[in-house]
Amino acid sequence: MASITLQNLVKKFGETVTAVAGVDLDVSDGEFMVVVGPSGCGKTTTLNMISGFEEPTSGSIMIGERVVTHLEPGDRGLGMVFQDLALFPHMTVFENIAFGMRVDKTADAEVKERVSKVATTMKISHLLSKKPAQCSGGEAQRVALARTIVTEPQVLLMDEPLSSLDAKLRIEMRTELKRLHEELKSTFLYVTHDQAEAMTMADRIMVMESGYVQQIDTPLGIYRKPTNQFVGTFFGQPTMNVVSGRIDNGGAPRFVSEYFELSIEPDAVPASATGKAINLGVRSENVTIGNEGAAGEVKLIEPLGDETLVFFSSGDEEFLVAKVDAEREFGPGDKIHFAFQSSAIHFFDAESGVRLE
Amino acid sequence: MAQATIKERKSLSAWLSQEKVFRLIPFIMVEATFLLLLAIPFMLTIYISLLKWRANRPFEQAYFHGLLNYVRVLTTEDFWWALGRTFYFAGTAVFFELVIGFLLAMLAYKQFRGRRIYITIFLIPMMVVPVVGGYNFSMIYIDSGPLNQILAPITEAMGVNPRIRWLSHPIAAQWAIIIADVWQWTSLTFLIFLSGFTALPQQLTNAARVLGASRWQIFWKVHLPLLKPAIMIAVIIRSMEALKLFDLSVLLTFGGPGTSTETIAFFLWRQVWQFNKYSFGAAASIILLFIFGALIFYGIYLLVRERSIVEEESMR
Ligand SMILES: Nc1ncnc2c1ncn2[C@@H]1O[C@H](COP(=O)(O)OP(=O)(O)O)[C@@H](O)[C@H]1O
Ligand SMILES: [Mg+2]
Repeated sequence: MASITLQNLVKKFGETVTAVAGVDLDVSDGEFMVVVGPSGCGKTTTLNMISGFEEPTSGSIMIGERVVTHLEPGDRGLGMVFQDLALFPHMTVFENIAFGMRVDKTADAEVKERVSKVATTMKISHLLSKKPAQCSGGEAQRVALARTIVTEPQVLLMDEPLSSLDAKLRIEMRTELKRLHEELKSTFLYVTHDQAEAMTMADRIMVMESGYVQQIDTPLGIYRKPTNQFVGTFFGQPTMNVVSGRIDNGGAPRFVSEYFELSIEPDAVPASATGKAINLGVRSENVTIGNEGAAGEVKLIEPLGDETLVFFSSGDEEFLVAKVDAEREFGPGDKIHFAFQSSAIHFFDAESGVRLE
Repeated sequence: MAQATIKERKSLSAWLSQEKVFRLIPFIMVEATFLLLLAIPFMLTIYISLLKWRANRPFEQAYFHGLLNYVRVLTTEDFWWALGRTFYFAGTAVFFELVIGFLLAMLAYKQFRGRRIYITIFLIPMMVVPVVGGYNFSMIYIDSGPLNQILAPITEAMGVNPRIRWLSHPIAAQWAIIIADVWQWTSLTFLIFLSGFTALPQQLTNAARVLGASRWQIFWKVHLPLLKPAIMIAVIIRSMEALKLFDLSVLLTFGGPGTSTETIAFFLWRQVWQFNKYSFGAAASIILLFIFGALIFYGIYLLVRERSIVEEESMR
């Protein structure tokens, strides 16, 4: 069991490419931490520095009480599951799982015992004599996990381990990974570009963009209080509505955009948001469609089953989406009125994208 | 009459423009090539091997001789010596080509400054025309030539006469041929191994490292097994080629001194073109065809099996 501490971790490739631009992170013992961000934001590079495949340009890495910044990967007491699984194709599943013990020259009897035990937990006992190529995607995934956890690592690193699976299996494996985390109680550091994966699995999430940490918080914290417009729009499906405009504070505060005006409850508006260009963000579930508010016209309907997404426009250019009860029926061309729930509105600085509070 | 030819032509062109003709064309060409290039000379060789015919007598006087030529070949001691020598040359040369090629590839596959230049230089020997290469070596090996001069400090220190008779001492001459062959063909094994090393997936190495394997363990347990197909290919391609060793014997030693560097190909050539024993040569080449054919088929079988394993493993 161990924590992970990253201090001002930087990785540059050559003079020009800064893959990771100073990451500070504390993952506490037994935590399920998810690193998420768009492709190319430096997630893999961060993970590779923790695992020891990349030498950091500067900064330090601690696992537990030990500084491991310059140790060999095998001496850091961690396990890793790779994106393409990296099972040894020439070995049987048994030998794949046993590899870590074989290189330690563990006695044969113990190897057998531990492999069969982990194979039972991962439900792959029937595969032990097969080659990795003979396993299905989900089975190979379990083998890769078994190979890693059989060495009882204090820290488990995973780089998009589910990306090679189909959608249904991916969702099943999410649950399985969470169950595994409950069982092992070791520290998980999990990398993904999929915000839904991050939301469902994480104790805490670190959001990265262009090598910079954007926010570190619990899934709900990030969803409710994104520190900037990037984080706000990155999480949630459908993407958060963002409208540029400004707050008109003459009497009751009103949000004024090019195409519509809406009044907002006074205590929902932060002082710093008045009197300058802002971007207003509101999620689809916080957009109400009714008799009051600004006028709009329905363009498209997307039923989700229990709820319905209503895509509508205000004026000719401003497109918005609302999530409404499935019972309420709309059709393209319907004239509607819409408003925002004041307490759920996010205000972002139009220039820097920073959250205004 | 004129009309008939026109009609005939028409139907011929009509026939030619049919779809099925195009399917036949490659077939016909393959068959024709096969007949011309392989079947006819092969039949002719079998036919000659059954005759008693020497070139110093007219062909009309040749008569059937049954399998006597075959018996003669199989009971000729020099035939077996030449064959054994060929296997010895091929085995030794291929062994060194594999080891040196492997080590060079191991050094060159990682990124470093000037890597491309080194790789290009290592590939040059393979591109030299064999005759030119052999000719160069014949000059290098002269008793007072550059090789002995370079070696002089070592040989003198060891108390050996520095004028090693590379081409006229039986054992030195054998090594002279092996060294020349190794020089020329290590490039090929280097190239094969280099592509093998380059194709090793980095993630497998990383996986092994995280699991605590040392460099040595990674090499033996992960890299070497994955390189097995490349090793097999190198062994088989080089062995097939080395068993045909001929040019170096001719260029460097002309089979001598005595018959100490006479390979089986050279033996055959000498029987036919120096001693005019056409029927004997034909019978010997048929026997060799069977021996080498069996070896080559075994080699191809191993290759195909290795390939199917590789395909199965990379399938997913
Ligand atoms: N070995 C490398 N050499 C140069 N640039 C690299 C190297 N590895 C990664 N990068 C660059 O660093 C950035 C971050 O890459 P990566 O960590 O793989 O992103 P992610 O895993 O988040 O998709 C990318 O712009 C990528 O092009
Ligand atoms: Mg990545």
